[in-house]
Amino acid sequence: MKRKATRNALLYAGVVLTCAILVFPIYWLIVTALSEPSQLRQLPPSFWPAEPRWGVFGQIIAERPILLWLGNSALAAIGAVAISMVVSVLAGYSLSRFKLRGGQSLGLFILTAKMLPATLLVIPLFGIFRSLELIGSLWSIILAHATLIIPFTTWMLKGYFDTIPRELEQAAMVDGCSPLGAMVRVILPISAPGLAATALYGFVLSWSDYAYARTFLTNAQGNWTANLGITTMKGEYISNWSDISAASILVALPILAIYLVLERYLVGGLTAGAEK
Amino acid sequence: MAGIRIDSITKSYGGLTVLKGFSLDIADGEFVVLVGPSGCGKSTMLKILAGLEEASSGTISIGDRNVTDLAPGDRDIAMVFQNYALYPHLSVRRNMGFGLKMRGTDAGEIDRRVADAAKILGIDHLLDRRPRALSGGQRQRVALGRAIVREPQAFLMDEPLSNLDAKLRVHTRAEISALHKRLRVTTIYVTHDQTEAMTMADRIVIMKDGVIQQIASPEVMFRKPANLFVAGFIGSPGMNFLKAKAQASGGGATAKLFGHDVVLPVANADALAGKEIVVGLRPEHIAAGPGQISFTVTPRLIESLGSEQYVYVDLPEEHRRETVSAGEDEARRSALIARLINPEPGPPGETLTLSFDPARLHVFDAASGEAIR
Repeated sequence: MKRKATRNALLYAGVVLTCAILVFPIYWLIVTALSEPSQLRQLPPSFWPAEPRWGVFGQIIAERPILLWLGNSALAAIGAVAISMVVSVLAGYSLSRFKLRGGQSLGLFILTAKMLPATLLVIPLFGIFRSLELIGSLWSIILAHATLIIPFTTWMLKGYFDTIPRELEQAAMVDGCSPLGAMVRVILPISAPGLAATALYGFVLSWSDYAYARTFLTNAQGNWTANLGITTMKGEYISNWSDISAASILVALPILAIYLVLERYLVGGLTAGAEK
Repeated sequence: MAGIRIDSITKSYGGLTVLKGFSLDIADGEFVVLVGPSGCGKSTMLKILAGLEEASSGTISIGDRNVTDLAPGDRDIAMVFQNYALYPHLSVRRNMGFGLKMRGTDAGEIDRRVADAAKILGIDHLLDRRPRALSGGQRQRVALGRAIVREPQAFLMDEPLSNLDAKLRVHTRAEISALHKRLRVTTIYVTHDQTEAMTMADRIVIMKDGVIQQIASPEVMFRKPANLFVAGFIGSPGMNFLKAKAQASGGGATAKLFGHDVVLPVANADALAGKEIVVGLRPEHIAAGPGQISFTVTPRLIESLGSEQYVYVDLPEEHRRETVSAGEDEARRSALIARLINPEPGPPGETLTLSFDPARLHVFDAASGEAIR
């Protein structure tokens, strides 16, 4: 009994410590955003500003086109995720279900693409987009992000489809569906948690990109994404870290909101009851 | 409803042939059970019949239509899967109506047929639930309901009872049989359980290694097994096998069993003389106490089930076979089992007199395993 209590205490201590390590940077970001820039370098540091600058968010929205940047980030992420999901649902389903000649090597090939660092692809992509006259257009990063996202999402979805019993689409085919119809009418609806998690993952990948936006969009201010916009707030000699932190919080909020909305799907177990 | 003709179906995966020339004619309204050990090809045959797998060669006709190259949905069959395969995102009502909806049946007709089927199966109070809110037995009924609302030419059932507990399995077995008698839809049922096969089938098809061993009614399968495999598979506990040598004797054939010259129930005795044979004796054909052929044994183990006892006896060395066939329990090679009904209780270790009627014996060629009659 005592041993169990000790084990529980250690477990809780571990959880609290892990949460503290994870949450501290976010807390510090908020403290920085709400503090006067002059207070940031004081020693000992203040763990909560005496007079929090709540107006900083409104001020940033007024001074900078941050809503435009957020809109561009959202457009890029939605476009990239839409393309990625269409490709990776079909690819992941095929890899999961069909025994293709060379299918395994194809899967490994996609896995290899996943291992390549994004920066390695910047130069060839730049060449391609220049010849397609897409430099400066949001389409450049939509397509670039799709190349980044598709290998991840294909493997995530393949793994998810592997857990769905084949008998479900066999039953649908006996009931009159074509193989594609069985996928659309039965497999995709019950894959909602997997699709939501995968799409969210792709969205976060696209949303947090900086390298591609910096390379393809620098000369087109109207198409800057939020991450690219925030970096322009950093001066050569002076940087207002309070404002940069406040802008970073504004950029993180949409992702947080999406997590909250999709949480039900992310933790859902819709396939329960399909089988014995 | 329609009859089904399966003609010379083979199925190979690379170099591995899992079905070797499977042919079977199933009459309209017949209940046929494919039975055999794991890996015998029975489920593969059912999937080929459903169109979920492609045959390497051969043809399948349902009614007058050659359906060999048709998609599963165009064959007008319904299937019940081992794990039920209910659509988890749809209510019971929509699960059952899904096949009709795919066929463009109008909503009113779907509602009527779903309600009728649900009433037959006693699940009308569950129609608005999702599969995850149902017990195993209820899911089983919904899976059956999904099949019967379609009013198909044939039902295909792939071990539909194997996920139920023993009591529910017996109950549902009887229900499926009753349902078949009521609807008279041609049914092909796959199982590895010989009890299910014996209790439900009009005809049993027993398979081993992709080859049909025998096609017969349960009664014939039990009384006249075609070979050692069938004899050992059908019946519980399985048939006892005793190695012996046949001898000609006064126009008949005999074999020495437990020290007695026992007359074998075979027609062509001359051909048997001097041949190595295997004599089969069902556990339930051994009686306690003296009889036509009596022998005394010391039981190794007695299992009591209340109304009956299984008496395990060491088989004399001269009757033990050198090898057992694939899928057969090695322990059976050295044991004889007697199934005694309402026996007198007695502690193990005491000697016991057992007897059997030689007319009940089965005779098999030791080399080929084929039955000799």
